[in-house]
Amino acid sequence: FRMADKPIWEQIGSSFVQHYYQLFDTDRTQLGAIYIDASCLTWEGQQFQGKAAIVEKLSSLPFQKIAHSITAQDHQPTPDSCILSMVVGQLKADVLPQVLGFQQSVLLKRCKEARVCTSEVFRLGLHNMG
Amino acid sequence: IMENKPVWEQIGAGFVQHYYQQFDTNRVLLADLYTDASCLTWEGQGFQGKNAIMEKLTNLPFQKIQHSITAQDHQPTPDSCVISMVVGQLKVDDDPVMGFHQLFLLKNIDNKWICSNDMFRLALHNFGC
Repeated sequence: FRMADKPIWEQIGSSFVQHYYQLFDTDRTQLGAIYIDASCLTWEGQQFQGKAAIVEKLSSLPFQKIAHSITAQDHQPTPDSCILSMVVGQLKADVLPQVLGFQQSVLLKRCKEARVCTSEVFRLGLHNMG
Repeated sequence: IMENKPVWEQIGAGFVQHYYQQFDTNRVLLADLYTDASCLTWEGQGFQGKNAIMEKLTNLPFQKIQHSITAQDHQPTPDSCVISMVVGQLKVDDDPVMGFHQLFLLKNIDNKWICSNDMFRLALHNFGC
């Protein structure tokens, strides 16, 4: 496919998602740039408010190596000119005995020239998706 | 106790319960939850506006469906909306149980919470028991 043929929200959403998992899998301490003080993360049912708390949570997750693979992603524009993205995929971390499924959603807001993530929700699939 | 939960959780959980109850009993009634500005992405296909969305949902090829929610998360957004993410299982007619993922963005219009954005995906592999 050609990226240019996709609606703008799909281009932005899929670029963000690609960037996010690439950062997450290589050096997740760098994720701070995508959050602001108004950002909220719900990680496995626990809430974290603001860039500092979110980065602390993500940096202190108990694994060294992780690899995400995206099974499906959907992107939509919202009434308030944000972009809403839902990702379904699988992940493998060194501390986990097996591949696990996950679901993640992000709400992206324009902030100066960049997009920041103001809302994020993450859940592991309860059962192995493989 | 519902009253002890943050208001966005009450709104999100109330919507989600209502949505699946309607879906499972008479999905024609879901029309009330969408407007002409609503978007639905169903298994990767996009539908814009209440009419297109309802046409898709009412024409889904099954007689009976039952959803069960495994987990749901709700968050307020900076623009006073509510994001609700749901993971669960569903059973259609006599087919085996399948996992599903859904995401809603809820917006308050004229004192009513409607769904402005809706994304649905089946889990590719059976969640099993």
